[in-house]
Amino acid sequence: MSSVVQCDSLSKRYGDVLAVDDLTFAIEAGTITGFLGPNGAGKSTTLRMLLGLAKPSAGHATIFGSPYDQLETPALRIGAVLEATDFHPGRSGRDHLRMLSQAVGLPDARVDEVLTLVELQGAARRRVKGYSLGMRQRLGLAAALLGNPDLLVLDEPANGLDPEGVRWLRDFLRAFASGGRTVLISSHVLAEVAQTVDQILIINHGRLVAESTLDDLTARVGGAVRVQSPELDKLAETLGREGIVTSRSNDHALLAKGTTRERVGDLALAAGIAIYELVTEGSSLEEVFLDLTSEEVPQ
Amino acid sequence: MNQLRAELLKIRSTRTTIGLLVGLIVLALLFTILTCTLSPMSQLLTEQDQTSLLSFGSIAGVFAALAGVMLFTSEYRFGTIRPTSLFNPSRNRIFVSKFTAGVLSGFVFGVIGEGLVFSIGLMILKIRGVSIVMSGANMTELLVGAVVGTALWGAVGVGVGAIVPNQVGAVISLLAWGFVVENLVFGFLPKIGRFLPVHASDSMMGPIEDKLLPGNVGTLVVVAWSLVLAIIGMALLKRRDVN
Repeated sequence: MSSVVQCDSLSKRYGDVLAVDDLTFAIEAGTITGFLGPNGAGKSTTLRMLLGLAKPSAGHATIFGSPYDQLETPALRIGAVLEATDFHPGRSGRDHLRMLSQAVGLPDARVDEVLTLVELQGAARRRVKGYSLGMRQRLGLAAALLGNPDLLVLDEPANGLDPEGVRWLRDFLRAFASGGRTVLISSHVLAEVAQTVDQILIINHGRLVAESTLDDLTARVGGAVRVQSPELDKLAETLGREGIVTSRSNDHALLAKGTTRERVGDLALAAGIAIYELVTEGSSLEEVFLDLTSEEVPQ
Repeated sequence: MNQLRAELLKIRSTRTTIGLLVGLIVLALLFTILTCTLSPMSQLLTEQDQTSLLSFGSIAGVFAALAGVMLFTSEYRFGTIRPTSLFNPSRNRIFVSKFTAGVLSGFVFGVIGEGLVFSIGLMILKIRGVSIVMSGANMTELLVGAVVGTALWGAVGVGVGAIVPNQVGAVISLLAWGFVVENLVFGFLPKIGRFLPVHASDSMMGPIEDKLLPGNVGTLVVVAWSLVLAIIGMALLKRRDVN
């Protein structure tokens, strides 16, 4: 299956600053991918290149196999929100959506549908300047959903949202992706997306520093898989034969380092060892994130 | 066509255009009523006097140009250029749609501005007993010239807005050019100044000033200005990243 999003050796230079540096990654259909990095890491620049708003200095980015601007009516396949403030304050939310829907030939009925979907139907005819930040975020999302897209690209969508708004967004994205659709969501706060995403891409100084599932990443950067079993010695021996280093925790559980839950579970099953508990622990995700993004990238 | 519909909706869906229209109507009425009522009879007798007075509706060109400028600059100012570009990744199509919308809105400004000045001015002059010496052809030239000239100013505004996306910068540039630079150049070097867009568009309305170009040449000059600005604006739009 071809990737929904593909970036190959993507670079962007602004004068002397290399904002994005030889970035290569792919995103498969049906996943929610967190695109993480500190402020200024190059996330927004990457998304702008992906969406045809900025020209790469080198490399190329494709969505559904083509550059964004070469797709036939891309807004019908890809929905994107880049800033929460991209509205004329004097225009009503509904007219904002109508002007976009008319550009791709969608009827006003679709505008009303997405307004209902993001629960903004009551404020639809009010001017955007009276909207709260949460309402603006949802209006942006409504615009992205107009074309009933298969891919959503959201740049820092949880910025400024209250906890209820973050939960609403999380539930919404899960529902969206549950139908096999794909989400790429950027954030500089790992906690905002940790409960939502399947896999993460972390960039720092414009370079990709990690691409993996959350579990893999946690395990890789000093985390451990904690296992409870009635046959801990046998399990330690089994894992040891596969090169997995183990130790005992204070409460007599086995901690397997540098591996994943799935690997430990599979090995235990193959050896006929019962497992009572199998969790990834150790470094918190935030620690992993800070660890990866605090590293100086060689110039 | 879809993008043009969207652009026309953008113009209609904020109060900016209505504000500009109200400003135009107030200014046109104020000027027409005051000058037609208060000007001494000796300044209302010749064809040039009357044409010049009734051509004030061409001030609509300033408003049309401002509306045209806003078509791009407000997109950059409020960030709507991002969703606009996402929904239509063809910068050419965006430009052509805005250019057409600028011409259409300029046409409406022209009809309202010149329509008000001409009809009310003529009415006041007749009430004052002024003998109207303008020929029918001259009146037609004035009306068509003012409306078409204003429509072209809408196009010029779009070009300027694409070249200078900063709204304040674009508006100041446009006003400074129209009210200061051109008048200085025309005042000192009329042979050059008459080829500049404001004075070329003035010539489209008939004999309101001796040193202007012939009307048909003036029309071509304004069309050329709007096209040159459009070509530069479109090239810059295609080159520039949307950040």
